Amino acid sequence: MTVIAVVVFVIAYVLIATEWTHKLLAALGGAAVLLALGVTDSEHAFYSHETGIDWDVIFLLLGMMIIVGILRRTGVFEYVAIWAAKRAEGSPLRVMILLTLITAVASAFLDNVTTVLLIAPVTLLVCDRLGVNPVPFLIAEVMASNIGGAATLIGDPPNIIIASRSGLTFNDFLIHMAPLVVIVLAVFTMVLPRLFKGSFTVDPDKVENVLRLNEREAIQDPRLLIKCGIVLLAVFAGFVGHAIFQVEPSVVALLGAGLLVLISGVPTKDYMSSVEWQTLLFFAGLFIMVGALVNVGVIGELAERVGEATDGRPLLAVMLILVVSAVLSGIVDNIPYVATMSPVVLELAKGVTDPAHAHALWWALAAGADFGGNATAVGASANVVVIGIALRAGHPISFWEFTRKGVVITAITILVAAPYLWLRYFVLS
Amino acid sequence: MAEEFPVVGLDTDAREAVELLAARRLPGLIVVDERGRPYSVLPASQVVRFLVPTYVQDDPSLARVIDESLADQAADKLSGVTVRKLLPSEPVELPVVNHDDTVVEVAAIMARLRCPLVAVVKDNDIVGAITASRLLELVVSPH
Repeated sequence: MTVIAVVVFVIAYVLIATEWTHKLLAALGGAAVLLALGVTDSEHAFYSHETGIDWDVIFLLLGMMIIVGILRRTGVFEYVAIWAAKRAEGSPLRVMILLTLITAVASAFLDNVTTVLLIAPVTLLVCDRLGVNPVPFLIAEVMASNIGGAATLIGDPPNIIIASRSGLTFNDFLIHMAPLVVIVLAVFTMVLPRLFKGSFTVDPDKVENVLRLNEREAIQDPRLLIKCGIVLLAVFAGFVGHAIFQVEPSVVALLGAGLLVLISGVPTKDYMSSVEWQTLLFFAGLFIMVGALVNVGVIGELAERVGEATDGRPLLAVMLILVVSAVLSGIVDNIPYVATMSPVVLELAKGVTDPAHAHALWWALAAGADFGGNATAVGASANVVVIGIALRAGHPISFWEFTRKGVVITAITILVAAPYLWLRYFVLS
Repeated sequence: MAEEFPVVGLDTDAREAVELLAARRLPGLIVVDERGRPYSVLPASQVVRFLVPTYVQDDPSLARVIDESLADQAADKLSGVTVRKLLPSEPVELPVVNHDDTVVEVAAIMARLRCPLVAVVKDNDIVGAITASRLLELVVSPH
């Protein structure tokens, strides 16, 4: 059974990483084979938190997708982005910095793909008006999105998986990951002028084109905006207090989505069209496959090996997880990577006596996987989406054009994360 | 049923083609290849799609924030471009009917391809075109 589980998992993983077949087909196909061969069963696959589908993750994503589907109709994102671009007074560097910061902040609270889908059209508009090449701006934004998403429990799907598996709360992410993200963003902002050297020349006559944009027109229904604002505040209050109220974030998100559906009056097909059913089913397939590995003892053995390799030294394990996660997340999608590694880290954490060190293992996984998504053009779903948008707009971004910058930024962010983890959890704890 | 209709080549200047569309208020143009055989139909809506930036198509709310100056500059996109560039990047089925096809046959093709215009051919030569409005005229006219 162990051999079958590993072979099926590896084949599915290769298919997901190489995209020889659709990733949904690979994940569900792998899960189906494991169920058909009896490596796992319905009891383990559908009803066990440890060895089956993590419904908290699925329903948290579903709830947030519905909320974002309604929120994006308000035009508030476009309003803020254009307002910021106007405040930059036509300086392309200032425009880039402001738009990347907005993207990073939005990504902390919205799904990264949604954030880049919202920011990319505005960016193309602003760059078109300024007559500058939008490619550096789009690359900078998607990188900021991957960095910003690391700040909160809901910012990036890997964090949702980590939170569910580790029991870490929304506030834990705010306290431990958000400061790291702030530092990383500050460094990222300082690097931007050098990384995109030569991209900030603008014809002074074109500055007026940006100043003439009327951001107020982006908001068509102020009442919908107010309703969304109230529900969002309630949802985030629920996230912050979920440990006190003993309510899972998934329930908070679903209640928020339900309330917003009720009071917004948005037609069903409109908000349901923003639900990415394929992503949710992909998660389900992944959980069944990883659960089967847990079931047959492969994950436990892997954790034991990692423990032996690091000789029981937590700092070495943290640094190993951070670097390996960054490298592998650049090569394969960070979602399947984190889904696989979470049970390994869970086992490792059980063997660590100091709780601060155990937590550091999780933060290393989150930082490595989230920041590692920047390394290559296929490291994160948001990268692929932005490259597609740029191509349709007549500004193709090649794999290497992205990856050249991505590797540099990933290296810098990991170099910032490593001392942060060392200082905070080993020196100062 | 067929009427005489202007024809443009794949390498015709895009601005010339659009001026023809605008001046005669046509629903589209028949595009022929180098040998004069029908290659495609260029609906006016496709030209509009070409002129509107993709970011406005992706996020229609941005159309509201832009002033009229963008519309003034839209025609700039046509300079140095040929009709070939205006056509959809994905090849589409050619809306062509035979000169002896019935009204129902023409309507079926027009409805299936959602095209406001079909080319009419006889022995591979274009003998004219039928527009959606001409077809409707035939349908509602007293017999």
